[in-house]
Amino acid sequence: MTILRRTLIKAALAFGLAVSLLPAAGRADEPNPSAFIEKLADTAISTVADKSLAEQERDERFRKLFVSNFDLPSIGKFVLARYWKTATPEQQTEFLKLFEEQVVLTWAKRFKDYSGEKLQVAGNTKEDDHNWLVDSAIMREKGPPVPVQWRVHDTPDGSLRITDIVVEGVSMAITQRQDFTSTLQGIGGKIDALLSAMRTKVDQLKAEG
Amino acid sequence: MPLNMIGKFALRLGAVAAVALLVGCATPPPDDDPEAKADFEQLNDPLEPTNRAIFSFNEGVDTVILKPLAQGYRAAVPAFGRDRVSDFLDNLKSPLYLGNDILQGNAQNAGITVGRFVLNTTFGVLGIMDVADPMGLPGHQSDFGQTLGVWGVGEGPYLVLPFWGPSNPRDTTGIAVEWFADPVDIYLEDQHMKWLSWTRTGVSAVVLREQYLDVLDDVKRTSLDYYSAMRSLYRQRRAAQINAGKDPGKYAPPPKSVSSQPPATTQKAQAPQ
Repeated sequence: MTILRRTLIKAALAFGLAVSLLPAAGRADEPNPSAFIEKLADTAISTVADKSLAEQERDERFRKLFVSNFDLPSIGKFVLARYWKTATPEQQTEFLKLFEEQVVLTWAKRFKDYSGEKLQVAGNTKEDDHNWLVDSAIMREKGPPVPVQWRVHDTPDGSLRITDIVVEGVSMAITQRQDFTSTLQGIGGKIDALLSAMRTKVDQLKAEG
Repeated sequence: MPLNMIGKFALRLGAVAAVALLVGCATPPPDDDPEAKADFEQLNDPLEPTNRAIFSFNEGVDTVILKPLAQGYRAAVPAFGRDRVSDFLDNLKSPLYLGNDILQGNAQNAGITVGRFVLNTTFGVLGIMDVADPMGLPGHQSDFGQTLGVWGVGEGPYLVLPFWGPSNPRDTTGIAVEWFADPVDIYLEDQHMKWLSWTRTGVSAVVLREQYLDVLDDVKRTSLDYYSAMRSLYRQRRAAQINAGKDPGKYAPPPKSVSSQPPATTQKAQAPQ
């Protein structure tokens, strides 16, 4: 009887050890999209909430954080949709430059209205080998939490980048894509006209601060 | 409830259901040109010139009347007071929420709606205090356009309604049904207090506009084409609400079907190198 019990205890211990080691072994090469989003939210909040920083310094940090965590070139290509192929390489470069400017200014302003809400990450689902969907919610003081999903992919160097934010079922990338393609249809698909409309928009956003 | 009221209710419901059947069907996109099909599915706006004209008209009305009223309301009434007003108006919609929860076959939501109505009408003093939310019964909204969507009725082409704004035949049907079938309005009419229904509609419009002041300013400020950004936001939001209604308990996945895959695919094409 004692031998059996000992074997059982050993088996249980071995099993426990194996279970505790398994995820750790997996974590070494598998990226962790949930932790990535959690860390980004923490950094963004501490940057925005840091009142000791001068406004210019804060804007600069926000831009760096944004550009290094979002795959803006991928998003830009998606947003331009089939017009990406018709653009010349110079137009593509100019488009991505203006797109980054427009997106960063848009989100910098949105973050200025930040008033202490917390982001709670619930977990993530793997869509395929390179894409994940991270589920999270913005916890507000009053009212139900706002569901936010982050579409994340890995880059060739193994780091993670955000490709879309889906707020209450509304995809930012799809909204922008429809905005841009409608604008292009309205101006006969001319990329140069789109670029000048974007320049005007960026100047407006800068002027409003 | 007096018998003649129930009779009126049934008559109205029947009339509106007939309209709902007439407009319910959606038009499928052509299959031969994939890019045109993608654009069509993406924009779904065959009446765009008319819609844009009505949109500008609504913008004019908004600039001259509704937005100033909403701004005045925000300036005059502190947040606490505005919450009391919106809680009260929300509680008045409980019968509509309940009807739709039931029609959507969502027993859990129906139970929540009943619980909220009882708690908020009594302890919340006729609904001015949402006491149910902190007690673990958060509010939700359900409407008849969403119910039709849950039943599988397609949205139909995008429409901009005068004064009302973004819609489609399915959601317009929903608005019409609720306009005629709201038990609160029927009761008020029966009591010869129709003017109270109109007051409620007007106040609700200002309250709603106040809640959307910042969001709409943001969309207008950051989009290249306000009209198409609004169209996209409206359609995605409605799709998400209907998905949530179809699959209660789980939040709607991102609307993959609206267009081709979001940016991830561009990366996938590049990934092997």
